[in-house]
Amino acid sequence: MPAEPQTDMAPATSDRTVSATVRPEPRAQPSRPADRFALLATTVVGSYSVPEWLERLKTDYYQRRISSAYLREIHEVAIKAAIKDQERAGVDIVSDGELRRDNDIDYFLARMPGVEIPHLAKAFYYDYYDAVVSHPIPEPDDTDRPPLGLIDDFLFTREYTDRPIKFSFTGPFSLSRRVQNQWYRDEADLVMAFARILNREARALAAAGVAVLQVDEPFLAGYPEQVGLAVRAINAVFEGVDRTTLRALHVCYGNRYARPLWEGHYDFLFPAVLDAQVDQLVLEFARKGYEDLDLFRRYPNAPFSLGLGVIDVKSPAVEPPELVAARVRRALQVLPPDRLMVNPDCGLRHLPSEVARAKLRALTAGAAMVRKEILGQA
Amino acid sequence: MQIEIRATDRLRGAKALDLGSVLTSLAHAAREGSIDLSRLRVVCDWVQYRSNFREPVEVRRILPRALEAARSPRNGPAGNGRSAEPEAWEIAIDLRRAEPAQLALQLAHAMGAATSSESSSTCRLYLEDWGPSSSSCLWAFNALYWNALGLWEQTTGREYEQALPGGESDARNTAAARDLILELFHVWDQLAARRALPEDLYVLELGVGNGNQARVWLDEFLRLDRERHGGEYYRRLHYLMGDYSSHVLERARANVRQHAERVSTLVLDARAPSATLGFLRYKAFLIYISNVYDNLPTDEIARLGGHLYRVEVRAYLPMPAARQIAAGLGAEPADLPDLVNRLLQLGPELLADAAPERFPGGTMTAVGFWRQVWEALRLEERYVPIEELDTYEVAPGIRGELLRPIVEANGDVRMHVSNGAASSFADSLPLLHPFGLLQCHDLFVTDVEQYRTSFRGPGKYDGSVVNWVNGPLLAVIGRRYGFDVHFQPFAHRAGSNITTLTARVRE
Repeated sequence: MPAEPQTDMAPATSDRTVSATVRPEPRAQPSRPADRFALLATTVVGSYSVPEWLERLKTDYYQRRISSAYLREIHEVAIKAAIKDQERAGVDIVSDGELRRDNDIDYFLARMPGVEIPHLAKAFYYDYYDAVVSHPIPEPDDTDRPPLGLIDDFLFTREYTDRPIKFSFTGPFSLSRRVQNQWYRDEADLVMAFARILNREARALAAAGVAVLQVDEPFLAGYPEQVGLAVRAINAVFEGVDRTTLRALHVCYGNRYARPLWEGHYDFLFPAVLDAQVDQLVLEFARKGYEDLDLFRRYPNAPFSLGLGVIDVKSPAVEPPELVAARVRRALQVLPPDRLMVNPDCGLRHLPSEVARAKLRALTAGAAMVRKEILGQA
Repeated sequence: MQIEIRATDRLRGAKALDLGSVLTSLAHAAREGSIDLSRLRVVCDWVQYRSNFREPVEVRRILPRALEAARSPRNGPAGNGRSAEPEAWEIAIDLRRAEPAQLALQLAHAMGAATSSESSSTCRLYLEDWGPSSSSCLWAFNALYWNALGLWEQTTGREYEQALPGGESDARNTAAARDLILELFHVWDQLAARRALPEDLYVLELGVGNGNQARVWLDEFLRLDRERHGGEYYRRLHYLMGDYSSHVLERARANVRQHAERVSTLVLDARAPSATLGFLRYKAFLIYISNVYDNLPTDEIARLGGHLYRVEVRAYLPMPAARQIAAGLGAEPADLPDLVNRLLQLGPELLADAAPERFPGGTMTAVGFWRQVWEALRLEERYVPIEELDTYEVAPGIRGELLRPIVEANGDVRMHVSNGAASSFADSLPLLHPFGLLQCHDLFVTDVEQYRTSFRGPGKYDGSVVNWVNGPLLAVIGRRYGFDVHFQPFAHRAGSNITTLTARVRE
């Protein structure tokens, strides 16, 4: 395992404002994922179909009817199957399906130093905890193991696939939205405290070989006025991350229970997101339409590539490969193929397994059609 | 012998029922009979619907589970191809109609019938085979009522709304409409401030009745909007009225003609609104439903002795009533099942045309036949084991596993599954805007315990069916789809049985 790179991160005792004012690093060239992966590489956003039986078992755990040991083994079996499904569908960059996670927030908050969760039982595994911060979040210590233990999740996945792996976690802004903050006068301080913890995880994950490290900000669309803070925090998360890892930011309009939480347009991200130290924006288009692609015309110097959402994860209707291909071609009117990756709009967790598999097959088949057209022309 | 008395609120007070005489009759019948009392349960209800589908005393078979049947020495070696004999029985007593003077005899007869090998077909004219309640022909009668409502009302001389308790629907309550509209305005104002309010503002009403609710709501909406926004929201409003009866829709549309530019009417199945309203996905700010769910098909399930059963029914006419109805048509009782089937398929007008020899007086004679059959219609019941809950379908895409937390947490209970309501509710939720609201006024059981304390249907409301709706199940479905579901008594009429269900996106 390569040594972790040194970081500019402020030491634990430093003034919080040091890393709260991370400066954007100069960037000469826009990100081109095709330099590292296949042209129009296909990937997932993160989560994979959670069958009803697995939901029941997870709920059994949160109601203390089965042990954590049982649940761990159940998760491992399910993850192996999820990896296999992605590989068989031809997905280039796979994930563990996030199948260990109860939801997009609690998996991290429950492990986050300094976050208190008074009641750990849940009526339904997917419910959110009531989390409280009543003391300062401890600063991460580089001499200890990263506190959230995400590295173990990645290492398990790496054992079962030879393909590049995407690893995603929820970003500091969205995590802070689900916490009752009783300590920090300025909400931004809580966000940045979470960012420093997540940075410790991000550096370790990148050093361990994660190919695509993605920060998800599922709540950001509901707080468009706070994009600046969210970008600052994302930069803190990615600070010092090994540059062989593609750094991605996923922003959608919510996928909780397969429903949008907000509606709107991605113009709220701009221009603040131009300062984000990320290589790729992973955005939702298939459900909402592709009008927002125009943002890449309006901001031609945007330094990132695009993870193009071509599969509607809120609909069980399986897109034909031709439709996927048409969507990719539409994006090619705005961005060159070496700046595109192809993915679903968001995680597949709410789709039935057979639908998720079929959608992934359509995704890869559609991307392959366009790839063939491009390479045939070359 | 296990005795369950569900009519708890009838056991006290000045008009408390004489339970002693019921129990005495029961003990007498048990002493004289030969039935295996260890396999007999007796359940006592107070059936509040004067018109219903039961006799004062009924006997129901409880079929053996597969494992139990294979183990039982009475059934011979497992796999010998012989059908299992019924191994347990339930006798149901309607305490409201049970006559003390006749009860002992009725109970003795019921116990005798339970163990007799004689067919009950000599005293009952069956109209269908056994099946789950939701597929019984009583729902075809219910559909016929709404589709031929005008004819029914013509013969009864009163509108259906007059059959409701209080003589009118709570849906026309202005104060309730005002509260709801102001809540909508609040949401819209907030979204408008964020430039996130869409141009088109959709409101959907499922099951429109005579249009009174829509008229009250739209009048109030226009008045309040003019006061607050100069009529801007009204200009952007699309009020969609959905019902499966075109006759009902026509009448409702006439009632809101002054709002015609803002109103669209759609014939749709309330159990699958998104099939018609796919364009509305994530767009409806309000879905309003009043007194619809209690009128949609439902199964019943029961947990008895820790095991799950589905209640199966078959509709029948008591033979004396069948003879009387048949005589009025110059027919034999054996002719009735076919005539009933044709009535349900064709409706009274076409039936009269198709069988003029039976209905020489034309359509109204056929309506009279319909009303006679409906009045006499009864349901025989039995309990069939549910071996695997996940194979039972509550509604499309909703497996029976969803019921498990309810049935496991509440001990032995018999309850409605409210399949039609569950289907409608689950299929409506995806239509809601992220800041949308579903509101439903109806007869809801809000706690499973309520199934143990009083009768929740089915009953007859005029020519339609009424069952209380399983609120805890809808709450579980709502949770599964990401919604918080709340129940509260209808706030605008004291003493109303109506409960208001509210569903909103949960964080």
